Amino acid sequence: MSANLSRRKFLAASAAVTAGSLAAPWIARADANEITALLITGGPLYPKYWEKIVQDFTAKTGVKVRYDLLEFTPLTAKVVTLSAARSSQYDVYSTHTAQIDSYFNHFAPLNSYFSDSELAEFYPVAVKYLRDPKTGNLAAIPRNMDSRVQYYRSDIYQEKGLKPAETWEELVDVGLKLTGNGHYGLVVPGQGDPAQRTFSDLLWQAGGDWVDQANKPAFNSEAGIKALTFYRDLIQKHKIVPPDAVGYQWNENSTEFSSGTVYANFDWPGAFATLSNPETSRVVGKWSTAPYVRDKAAISCAISHAMALNGQSGRKEAAVEFIKYTVGPQAQRLQFDQFTNFPSSQAIAKEVIAAAKGPQAVWLQQLETTIANGKEWPKLAGFSKVCTLMFSAIEQALSDQVSPADSLNQAATEAEEIMRRAGAYD
Amino acid sequence: MPPLAQHQVSGRRRRSPLPYTWQRGYLLASPALLVMLAILIYPLGYSFIMSFFRWDLSGSAPFVGMGNYADELSGRQFNQALRNQAIFSVISITIEVVAGMAIAVLVNGKLRGMRLARTLLLVPPMIAPAVVGLNFRWLFNTQYGLVDALLRMFNLPDIPWLNDPTWALVSVIVADVWQNTPLMVLLFLAGLQSLPQEPLEAATVDGATPWQRFWHIVLPLMRPVIMIALMLRIIDTFRTFDVVWLMTQGGPGGATNLLTVYSYLLAFQAVDFGHAAAVSYIALGMSMFVLGLLYGVPWLIAKRRAI
Repeated sequence: MSANLSRRKFLAASAAVTAGSLAAPWIARADANEITALLITGGPLYPKYWEKIVQDFTAKTGVKVRYDLLEFTPLTAKVVTLSAARSSQYDVYSTHTAQIDSYFNHFAPLNSYFSDSELAEFYPVAVKYLRDPKTGNLAAIPRNMDSRVQYYRSDIYQEKGLKPAETWEELVDVGLKLTGNGHYGLVVPGQGDPAQRTFSDLLWQAGGDWVDQANKPAFNSEAGIKALTFYRDLIQKHKIVPPDAVGYQWNENSTEFSSGTVYANFDWPGAFATLSNPETSRVVGKWSTAPYVRDKAAISCAISHAMALNGQSGRKEAAVEFIKYTVGPQAQRLQFDQFTNFPSSQAIAKEVIAAAKGPQAVWLQQLETTIANGKEWPKLAGFSKVCTLMFSAIEQALSDQVSPADSLNQAATEAEEIMRRAGAYD
Repeated sequence: MPPLAQHQVSGRRRRSPLPYTWQRGYLLASPALLVMLAILIYPLGYSFIMSFFRWDLSGSAPFVGMGNYADELSGRQFNQALRNQAIFSVISITIEVVAGMAIAVLVNGKLRGMRLARTLLLVPPMIAPAVVGLNFRWLFNTQYGLVDALLRMFNLPDIPWLNDPTWALVSVIVADVWQNTPLMVLLFLAGLQSLPQEPLEAATVDGATPWQRFWHIVLPLMRPVIMIALMLRIIDTFRTFDVVWLMTQGGPGGATNLLTVYSYLLAFQAVDFGHAAAVSYIALGMSMFVLGLLYGVPWLIAKRRAI
């Protein structure tokens, strides 16, 4: 065979293979009845969930969905990269309220695809914070709500004659009574976005807010300093939180509680399913839920995982159909059944709450109250960068490198400059 | 025999469409050059240009000149990252080179078990940095970590490895040293085994002690190998990312933020590619400056001596 293979033939064959491989993506894209999606995953049940959603959608509409799954952090990095490259690789993206302000120019506005009455179906807090405050365009549509309630070890609390904390003072008091012998009364995150969320909750609870009426940073107010001081003291002064918490994010917090090391945690809706499963929890049947703690107010963040349409997509109509399906009643019920994810539709949420019994019904009502009263940080130009700045400022105070007041004042000065440069005040 | 003559004497005469000139050389190399341009030069140039613009996802990207560089060089977070980078690089490289040389001298000897030791030395550099990061994060956990458990066993106080700013930097240095010292050992071992034996034998005959032989003969002869090792590690420390990201994500509060980690945070969390590119180019400039010093200073000294 080698005797017959001339250099000319070899080069021609190589050229054909190269041309074929280069043309392949365009050939694959040529199918008009197919869309592509970059979807979020986390935990072993998520892939099965998306598989079912996609199968059902294709059966209903005839539109095929090719999709890739990524966890939150790599997904965010990939969406940022593809948006910067103005890529049309994916028609649909999973997204989140956290950094939505970065994508206002890259996700196609969805308001024209949803009627006002359809939008009114969703929790107002979710829709409000997915909108560009300048244009009013809706950058994404909420798929499920994410807020936190208190999870506590009912068996230990009963044994020690304690009740779950309702106020900040009680949180410290109960925590001190539970901490010792390698156990801690509470766990809070201390790093990155989770730390900023926790500070955010405490800031609102103390009566403060992120920005003032003129959208200038106001998180370094008296309330902000009180909130960050209280947060730091939980770890450094009262020591009711594991010291490693300054490097913890949500997963570590959940693991500390589900392994039985800590006795209270503020966790998201999915924790209810995880803690009820013997494969992922050592404390099955030993815990209960209570509302988030309060100071001047009882506010916590209410955010949403959402679906967005790539502004560069060439198949917007089919992509929007898929997005509508993923936020529709069938998909929302399925995600609640599988991961106890709280629906973004108020009507489905009410159905779910009405059908629940016992501790689950109590928990859902607590969660619904938190979501209905919840808030999110402002979606102003440049605020994504302010968030990164805040991660560092909060972590520095929590790890006792700088005082809470100095840390917040420095961050406020820098934040105003960042937002000014990004055009938040134009 | 010159190439043209060689061509003419071969069996069948084949006409070449082009004469053997330097243009033909470039023509033949052009596919490779084009690929190089596409995958290496283009992104480098593009990101360099990016560093002069306010480049986020807002839709407009105004030219800011040296603005991104000026912002970073006068910024608190960049200066903290730069300080961390300097501490991390100097301490890691110093320990790795000194310990690497000591271990190389030891395993170069004809002691029992040295073959096994040399084989085991291959393990740490072969492990993916991400795995090293995760393992050290686990080892240094105050509650469950093996290191603090051992300290407790000997009634010693716990060390807040990852939650104290100073100890966190020590932790990432320890992980880096663990992974990279064996590489230094292997490099130095190769150098030691290729040294000429005559000067060492002569020194032994003259009554030089082992330390004198090492200091006055081995070390000067090993200088080229040490230079290569230093160069490799300087380049490496300026692009260290995985281990630090997995262990601390640059925390607590930026205490272990290296330039790469800071640049990543700017690009993918702050969505600010202009500043991220500027930080990357400052890091590149600094590593080239350090490498320049590494080569330039000995060269200048040698030149002055020659005069």
